[in-house]
Parts: sequence; C-alpha cells; structure tokens
Amino acid sequence: MKKLPLLGQFLGRLCWNPYVTAGDTSRNLLLQCLWGLYSEHPSNAVERKANQWIRKVLCQLATEEDDGVAQALMKHMGVPAKEYHLNVLTKMVALLQENVGKSCCSLSNINQRCSCDNILATSDACVPLITCPEASPLIGALLQQPVTCVKEALSEDFLDALSSAYSSRNLSLEEQALVSLWHHSLPSLEEAVLSLLESVTNTTSTPQMLHQQVAQSLLPKACAQHCSLFLVTNDIFRSVLKQAEGNESVKSLVQTFTRCFLWELALLQPQTSVSLKAFFPQSPPSLLVPLLTLPSEMPQESWRNHLNWLSGSLQRLTEEEEEGNGDSRSTRGHYKVFETWFLLVQCAHWVQAAVQLLVTSPEDCGPLLRLLTFYHHPTNRWHHRALQLVGAREAWEHLRSVFSVSARPPIDRLQSLVTLPSSPAPLLTLSLLVNFAVFCQQPLSVSTEILQTVVHHSGLVDEAACVLSSLELRLSEGSCLSNDRVHLRIKELQKTLTHMH
Amino acid sequence: MEAVLKNLSSTVELLAVAAYSGTVEQWEKYNVSRAFDWARYCEHIYSRYHSNPAIRRVMEQQLELTNQSLQDVIPGYTEVSFSDLPRLQHLLLVGLLNNPEVPISLLKMLFDTRGPVDNMKSEYQDVTGLCSHIIQCKAACKVLSPLTELSAAGAEVQGRMLMERLGALLSRGSDTRPAEHFLGCVLQECEGAGRQFCLVITAALLTTKNSAAQTAPREFLLDWLQNKHSVLQSLPATLLIDLAKEHKKFRDAYCDVLKKWASDMEYIISEGEWVQTSTNPTVSFQKLTERFMALFEACPSLRAKTEKELKALKISDGDFDVKGLSVWGDLLSALNM
Repeated sequence: MKKLPLLGQFLGRLCWNPYVTAGDTSRNLLLQCLWGLYSEHPSNAVERKANQWIRKVLCQLATEEDDGVAQALMKHMGVPAKEYHLNVLTKMVALLQENVGKSCCSLSNINQRCSCDNILATSDACVPLITCPEASPLIGALLQQPVTCVKEALSEDFLDALSSAYSSRNLSLEEQALVSLWHHSLPSLEEAVLSLLESVTNTTSTPQMLHQQVAQSLLPKACAQHCSLFLVTNDIFRSVLKQAEGNESVKSLVQTFTRCFLWELALLQPQTSVSLKAFFPQSPPSLLVPLLTLPSEMPQESWRNHLNWLSGSLQRLTEEEEEGNGDSRSTRGHYKVFETWFLLVQCAHWVQAAVQLLVTSPEDCGPLLRLLTFYHHPTNRWHHRALQLVGAREAWEHLRSVFSVSARPPIDRLQSLVTLPSSPAPLLTLSLLVNFAVFCQQPLSVSTEILQTVVHHSGLVDEAACVLSSLELRLSEGSCLSNDRVHLRIKELQKTLTHMH
Repeated sequence: MEAVLKNLSSTVELLAVAAYSGTVEQWEKYNVSRAFDWARYCEHIYSRYHSNPAIRRVMEQQLELTNQSLQDVIPGYTEVSFSDLPRLQHLLLVGLLNNPEVPISLLKMLFDTRGPVDNMKSEYQDVTGLCSHIIQCKAACKVLSPLTELSAAGAEVQGRMLMERLGALLSRGSDTRPAEHFLGCVLQECEGAGRQFCLVITAALLTTKNSAAQTAPREFLLDWLQNKHSVLQSLPATLLIDLAKEHKKFRDAYCDVLKKWASDMEYIISEGEWVQTSTNPTVSFQKLTERFMALFEACPSLRAKTEKELKALKISDGDFDVKGLSVWGDLLSALNM
C-alpha cells in the first residue's frame, strides 16, 4: 500500500465489476488481494482505516441492494436476498436458454438476419460463469445448439475456458454437452484422448478394466456420432504407435477402442448399413470388411479359410509395397504397409483367433504364423521378417512338443522358454504358451505346472494374466461354443497366476 | 409452545449478540453455523404459524418483551418484528457483517469460494462460501442482463412474487386490508423507483393473464390500481387497453382516469396546446386523444356513453366551438365526435 497507494482504489473498483465477481477464480483472487491488505493487528491509523474499509466493502457486496423495488419486495414479503437473487438468475438462464433454442440460422430464409451474433455474444458472456452451477443449463444449450451457420458460433474464449475447467475437474458436463464440446473444439478432444492414453499406459489394467475405462471416457460414443472425431482420434493413435510399435498397452487400447466404437455405431444406426469407408478412409478397402467382422460372427470352421485369405492378402500387400519401392527409401512406400498393420491392430481379434487356431488345429500353420509375425513385427527392418518367422515357428513347435508329452516335462526342456523376455517375440510366444495351456488335451495339473514354471522364471506373470483375461473375454462375449471345460481351465489357471503374486 | 417461544426469544438474543456484541470475537465456524441453524428454525416457525392468528399474537407478544429487554441493554438496537422472521438468516448475516468485532477468519470463511457441496459432512448447515455464492448470483445476473431485454427477468420474478404474496394474503379471509397494506408499503418504498415498480406491475398482470388460479389476486390488483393514477399513467398503453377489454369495471375506471387527466389540463396560449398542470405531467393532449381513441376501438360500447358525458361537460363549460376555451370541446373535435 505504501508503494502503490492507488492500489486500494483499484481493488475497490474491481469489487463492483460484475465480470470480475462472477467468475470463481477471479473472485477468489480479488478476495485474496483484499485479505492481503487486511492487517491482523493494525498499528496505525492508516491500517485501521484500511481494515474498516475492507469490512465495509465486503458487507456492501454481500448485502446491499441497488434495486429499490427488489428491496421493498424482499422486505415486505420476507424473501431472503439469497433466494431472491437465485430466482432471478434461474429465470434469466431459462429465458436465455429459450432464446438460444429458438434462434437457428435457417438457410432457407436468406433475408433473416443471422442470429449467430446473439449466440456468440451469449457464449462470450458466459465465460466467467462456466463453473456457476446455475448457469449450466444455458451452457449445455449453447453447446448443443445445432451447427448450421458457416460462421463459428461459439467464442473461442468460451470453448477454451470450458475445456480447461472440464479437464481440471472443476466442471461436470452432461454426455451430449461433452460430445458437442469436443466437436466444437479439437484441442479439447485431443486432450481427452491423450489423458485416456496416459491413464491406460500408467496403470496395468485387465482387459475388462480397460474396456470400462474406454467406455467411460465417452470417446467411442462421441466418435460414433461425428466421423471427424473418429478420424482425429485415430490419427493420434497412429502417431503414438509410429513411435512405439511394440507398446502392447497402446495396441490393446486401440483394439478395445475400435471395438467399443463399432458397438456404439451399431447402436446408433441399427438398420442402415454404414459406409465404413468414411470412417476408415486410409485402410485398404479390400481388407476392411473381412477384418472388421468379428470371429464370433462366423462359424469356427470357416476361421481357417478366412485367416488364410487374410494372411495371403496381407503378404501380397506388404510385398507389393516393399518391392515396388525397392531402392527408394521413401516413407511413401511404407504408407500402405503401415495402414494395413494399423487396421490389423484395430481388429486384433483375428490375431487372437489365429493363436487359438494354431494351438487347436496345428496343420498348415504357415499362413497363421506369418500373420502373427506381421502383427508383432510390422516393419521389415533389416529384412528380419524371414528370421522372425523362423523364430516364431520354432517357438510354436517347441511348445507343441512340450504340451504333447503326457508326463511332466523336465525343467531343461522349458529352459528356452524361460528366457522368454529376451527372445525376439516374447509376447507371441507367451500368448501361444497360454493358449496351449488352456486348449491342450493334457490334464489341467500338467498345464498348470508348465505355465507356472515358465511364467515364474521369466517374470511375466502380469502379462500372462492379461493374455488369459482377454482370451476369457473374447470367448465369453462371442457366441463361440465355449464349453465348460475350457472355462474351467481358464479359471483355474487364473487362480494359479494370482497366487503367484 | 413454551419451548418454541423460548427458542424464539433466544434466537433474537443471539442475533443481537451477533450484531452488536464483542463476544463474537471468540466465535468460530461452528458458532456461526449454529446461529444460522437457529435462524432457519425461526423461519420455519414463521411459515408454520403465521396464518394462525392466536399463535401469531402470542409470538408477537414474546418478541415485544425480548425486544424491550434488548433495547434497554443495547444502544441503537433495531427491533425484530414478527414479519422479519422469514428473513432471519439474512438479518443475521447483515448483523455479522456489520459487526466490527467479528474475527477476520470467519469473514474469510464466509467469502471462501464454495467447493463441491458436501451435504453429508456435518449436522450443521455448511455456511462456507455463503456470501461468495450471493455475490456470484448477483454478478451473474448483471453479466447476463444485457443479453435479455432490460430488466425483463428481474421484473418477471418480482411480478410473480408479488402475485403469489397477494394470493396468500387474500386467501386468509375476506379482510383485504393486509393486502392493501402490503401493496401500499411496497409502493411507498419504491417511491424513487417508480418506473421499475410499473414494470413489475406490468409483468405481474401479464404473467397471470391466463392463469385460473390467479384471478383473485389479479382482480384485487386491478381494483387497487384504479385509484393509483400515478402508476396507471406509467403503465404501457397496450396493457391498459387489454385490461380495459377484459374488465368492465376497469374500463369505466380507466375512462374516468382519462377524463380526470383531461380536466387537469390548462390551455397555454403561447404554445397553443393543452398541458397537464399536475406535478408529474406525462400525458400530452395528443397522447390523451390517442388513448381515448384506442379505448373506443377496443371497447366500442363505451364510445356513445363517453360522447354524451363529454358533450354534457362541454355544455357546462359554455358550449363554445372555439379552440382553447374548453378542453372537452377540443377533445370532442379531436375525436371526431
């Protein structure tokens, strides 16, 4: 106060500015400033005066009425000020909400003045009121107003304020309002997708938990309603995967997300056949429908043919691209390969089906192994794909032999499996291992012991549990004729794994 | 009943302590919460018993005693009457904020921004952020009001409240005096805000137009309005015409008002116009003529009757056909009668 004596005056003026006192943060800051000027133990007349003044201002702010009629009514009707102001505010919000609902830029009548200016002004005025609970119906109405005009109807400040209030959890929005917010403001969508990614990669969650997290984020629902949102979300997923293609949690997120999205889409448009091309514009069209069909929608006998065809198509596509651009090291060449692989990641249910098939009917495993190898190693860096294929085949054969002997295999036979984490495709081998344990004809005790030994020595307990859970999920939700035997085995193995922690 | 009276008396004393005494220095959040709880209790008492004249009388007597004893002890004490009871929490707040001995920590608590409401936490009402919320509501209204028609929302809420209150007062019995008293008090308080008061009345009449439940208070208001010419002349003309169409009594009364305005007029030779001589002239001769015409258009049956009356008045003025001698004559010629 000594340095800036006019500061007090300035603060005083601010107190009477409704744009400052309406918003939570600004009001708080103003009050903090006032408290700062207050002296607990005033030592001179100036400080005492300051204290008095602060008290007076606060009292006036809270209790004085500048509307004579309001005061008269309140006094003679016995209505407390708080209730009265609340009523007025609610009424105003309702009136404005009505106005917003009525005004709609109709292209049919060009002479009609565009009412988007009103909406823009209203949204600007609502910026300080974002966290005011009484104003939320109006904010919801503004957000959900249909976008008919070419001009941007909602002010950027409004959208920014909403976005930051929502992400710092100061505000809760209804589902449809949130979807509209994302539709209006891409940065808020990006933030939502990134926070989902963060929450998924930071914690290890079971497939069921992941499913719940994705569904609760409301992103699949939003994407089903607006194609553009789905495209943006997928672009974010693409860029994350390009930097970390081996990241299994991101891959399973993408798969779960796509599945939730398709489910929401089916809910939304049950009768019409959706033009999937609009939602997957960059994916190879010939693979689109075959990959998006769930294994549970097909009889199990036709899986093999389907997978063989898929494997063949994938191989053709990748070889085309890679040979076609043999010398030129342009990324253009690998664009198609990447899109094919991305689509496969989105539809990883077929990868899981391939694993199951490899385990249950082992003839003609070539195409299936190729499919699996491609999934785990899409880039043919240093032309290692052939090598990886060989490694995958070896692992599969080894596991087959381990699980076909009816007696407990000696520990040395499991030696190579124990060094799982350092092998070229640990997760491929692990999923083969788990599937063998579940589907093989060996008694449960043998399977359990093999699984337990390998997992214990290689330290991949959590990963194994994950594979087991997703297998269970896939079998239980489809109309797969999953018999009790399989389910029983899965349950037992799960128990064993949880006891290993 | 004894307990209730005792509680009432204690709460009024508590209010006095909060507003005037230095003991609030030692108050903490829990004391404030309890004080508000007691105030709320009294509000509840009021709503339960205010329509019961016997109990009301007893309570008023108790309050008088308490007020008396407090007045002896506290200089400058303002009495708490029975009709103040429904706003007791507000009065408590005003008292607290005006008391310089209230510790700053309590003020900080009252002005703190309300976090997510946690209803289950304590047995006492959570008063944190009470003032903050009030300020927010008031500011929000101010921020949003440029977007709505000026004062529309405020006037509508006030109009609604007014009618509700009238309805409540009139439903108690055949005695219309409380209702008249209420309207009179409000009008008196609004002396400086005449225009706002008219907006409220307008809103009140418009919103209850088609409401069946509100016919009694509406009739009463219309009756009351007939004698309040200052209010009438500020009401929008369209509203007045609508009302005249609806009610025969109002029609006649409105016509009488117009005639009275005419009779108040004097002819100013320098301006060549009839001008009202009363203290608040708002109607010009032109406007008066327009109003008459609109009235006749809406209520054709009135035309003949009024014509006769005006002719009679003209005759009593001397029956001259010269402009400027008789307001009635000029009116008749302006109205083409």
